[in-house]
Amino acid sequence: MRNGHADEIEKLIEPGRVHRRVYTDPDLFDLEMERIFGRAWLFVGHTSQVPNPGDFITTDLGRQPVIMVRHRDGSVQVLLNRCTHRGAKVVNERRGHAPRLTCCYHGWTFDTDGRLVTVPVPEGCAENFDKDAFGLARAPRVGEYRGFVFASLAAKGQNFEDHIGPVKGNIDDLVDRAPDGTLALDAGMHRYVYNGNWKLQVENVLDSYHVPFGHASTVNKDGVQFARREGDQKGAMVVETEKKQTAASWKDRKSFIAGNGHGWTSNTSLDDGKRSSPAFDEYKKVLAEKVGAARANDILTPRLHNSLIYPNMSIMGLNIHVRVINPIAVDRTEVTIYPIRLVGAPEAMNFGNIRLLNVTHSAASFVQTDDLESFVRAQKGLQSTMTDWVDISRGLGAEEPDRERNATRELATHEMVVRAQYKAWLGYMHEAA
Amino acid sequence: MAADEVGRAALEDFIIHEARLLDARRFRDWMALFADDGTYWVPAVPDQNSPFDQASLFYDDRDLMKTRIERLEHPRIHVQTPPSRTAHLIGNVVVEESDHAKGEYVVGSTLIMAEYRDDAQRVFAGRQRHHLRRQGDTFRIVQKRVDLINCDGAFEAMAVPI
Repeated sequence: MRNGHADEIEKLIEPGRVHRRVYTDPDLFDLEMERIFGRAWLFVGHTSQVPNPGDFITTDLGRQPVIMVRHRDGSVQVLLNRCTHRGAKVVNERRGHAPRLTCCYHGWTFDTDGRLVTVPVPEGCAENFDKDAFGLARAPRVGEYRGFVFASLAAKGQNFEDHIGPVKGNIDDLVDRAPDGTLALDAGMHRYVYNGNWKLQVENVLDSYHVPFGHASTVNKDGVQFARREGDQKGAMVVETEKKQTAASWKDRKSFIAGNGHGWTSNTSLDDGKRSSPAFDEYKKVLAEKVGAARANDILTPRLHNSLIYPNMSIMGLNIHVRVINPIAVDRTEVTIYPIRLVGAPEAMNFGNIRLLNVTHSAASFVQTDDLESFVRAQKGLQSTMTDWVDISRGLGAEEPDRERNATRELATHEMVVRAQYKAWLGYMHEAA
Repeated sequence: MAADEVGRAALEDFIIHEARLLDARRFRDWMALFADDGTYWVPAVPDQNSPFDQASLFYDDRDLMKTRIERLEHPRIHVQTPPSRTAHLIGNVVVEESDHAKGEYVVGSTLIMAEYRDDAQRVFAGRQRHHLRRQGDTFRIVQKRVDLINCDGAFEAMAVPI
């Protein structure tokens, strides 16, 4: 697969199945880093992580280490974390504050917009040395929507509006829950890794089929999951125990696609009229005071479970969080999960959200751990060369238009969303950069 | 034992017993060591102040501990198929605070836990602090806090308490 010819790549994706090599071939992974992570709009971070000039976070966009930093003029810059002199990583902390960014090796110092400010022992520079040509490289394109910062490492390609447009409503659904209309990703993070391909996590985000089986250990003898959200008395009905089958409320959930590989699933039925606790009731009151009772009621009506913003992030509407998927190698992936603080909500409500995320999505949680086991076992099984194909055909042909949402709809236990991801994958992959 | 007889040896014996219950996968007996208001906390940030305003790896009260243990006993807990085997080593035990009148003690120690599962072995290391309350001839755990040296690192799935 070294050449990455379009016709060879197209052979890997069929209408209801994909070739195992998309998960296991290191050369294909290299191509993905170049053709998907090297040009797609990738989630970088949230503006609340860098509130003041000089605040920064560091992360990786595919194989490119980057710094997201707030400049003095208020702009958020996405800079390549590589000294323009001899190549050392300039910033080594995951987050911090610095008025200038200084390389540890020879002391080259950059401003927070990437401009090279100081070169120690300047008399040693070549006569025609042009400091302006040695600023930190920057992501060619940066876009932001309601605090969510995305970058593309390619100068050309689909514009940000066209990319994010179909899922703006999904971001709104989360942000509107904050009484002050803004979020803060300042409550730490969960970080987990697994020995498996990055797409196993991406595909899982919208997979409603696996829940009664993959998460059987979280379902009690009555077929109900543990309560996992502030104000709920119990969790979702996942299995109808008398019939020993997936519960109807689970089977009836829908999934949606709207282009670009993005997708989402409808909400989990949780007896929402009954949701109540001192923290939740106070939060509802505060929200209603800000936006009016009818609007508050509408905002708090659950519509979404998970939303995938292809290729590297998802938003969960139930245990609210943002998840970022970072490929390390063809068989190694790191995931970061940021709890969400709803700015303006009572402290107890935010505390409840942050705390319950331990139970569902930390590396030591009840839910995520069984998913990680499934990813690891998938990667192991896919090493087998005796069978080439991975089946993603559930519901093939059963897709239907959803005009209200300008989307395509199917049962969430089907695999339309995965097929849509591979359509987007092929769109990036079949064309040389 | 009289209140003023509670010394380092008794406290050390208790926290070693606690670790051995985990190694023996006697999770219900382990949970029974916690006071009704007891908590088990593994922060995800060095020197974390609160389990509420920052994410933690574990923060279980008795209710969550019970859910966690029911899951560990579930026949279809995939991440424990096969189960983990662990070995704790507890050392450098120091009684940091004693209040004989109230029967409350804070015991600091260093912990190393090796875990083997599914052909892979890994090591956890850190400091732990047990806040203990005297109850009759023994103690109950008000809080067990484990500060792993890599608490803010990225972890593969962790299924059993440390």
